[in-house]
Amino acid sequence: MPGLLAYTPFLDPMPMLGGMWWLTLAPLALGIAVVYKAIKLDDMRRYTAQVAMMTMQIIAVMVALAVGIQLVVGWIVPMLGG
Amino acid sequence: MTHHTVHQGADERFNPIAGILAYLLPGLGHWYLGEARRGLLIGAGVLWLFLGGALIGGIDSIDRVEDKWWFVGQAGVGPIAFATDMIHQSQFKLVDPASGRPKTPPPGPDARASKSIGHANEIGSLFGAIAGMLNIMCVIDALWRPRIDRRARVVRGGGAL
Repeated sequence: MPGLLAYTPFLDPMPMLGGMWWLTLAPLALGIAVVYKAIKLDDMRRYTAQVAMMTMQIIAVMVALAVGIQLVVGWIVPMLGG
Repeated sequence: MTHHTVHQGADERFNPIAGILAYLLPGLGHWYLGEARRGLLIGAGVLWLFLGGALIGGIDSIDRVEDKWWFVGQAGVGPIAFATDMIHQSQFKLVDPASGRPKTPPPGPDARASKSIGHANEIGSLFGAIAGMLNIMCVIDALWRPRIDRRARVVRGGGAL
C-alpha cells in the first residue's frame, strides 16, 4: 500500500478513508453519547447501558435518514420526472 | 429519583471557577466540583472526538485561518484547540508571498504535513467542531452544577435522553 508509506498520524489526513468514510459515524456517535450522558445522568450506575443505547439510537436514526433520502432521490424524484 | 450528596446551601449556585476550569481542560470543572468520574468521562469523550478529528483529517483540519467557521466550533475545546492551531500555523505553513498570510504548502520538500481535502477534511473538522460544542455544554453544566460534599444529601430528579 504505497499510500501508507508517507502517512504520519495526526499530521497527514487518513489515507484509507476512501469509500469507508461512513464508518466514522460509529466513533462519532460513541463520543457524543459518552459526553452527553456524563452530564445528563444523575445516577451513574446506568451510565454504560445508557451510552450504548444512545450510540445505537444515533446510528439507527442516521441509517434511517440515509435510507429515506435514498428512497426520495433514487425512487420518488425519478418517478415525478416521468 | 436518585440521591446526590451536595454541599448545604451551595446547590444550583453559579460557580465561575468550575466554568473556567471546564474550559481550560475538558472535565476539570466537574472534577473541581467533586465529581471525578464525571469529569474523567467528559475529558475522555471530548478529547476522543478532538484527537479523532486530528487523526482522521490530519492537523490541517484544525485551521483558524483557512477554515475559520469550523474553528469557531473547535475553539470550544479550549486552549488545546488554540495550541494545536498555533502549532499548525507556525510549524506546518509557509507565508504566501501574494497574500502575506500563512498557507499550507503544496506537496513537495517544503511540505511538513499534507493538505487535508475531501471526506478526510470534512469528517476531521466535524469531529473537532462537535467536540468543541459538547465541551461548551459541559462548561455551562459546570457553571450551575451543585458541588458534591459528603456532609449533606439532596434529592434530584433522574433523567435519561
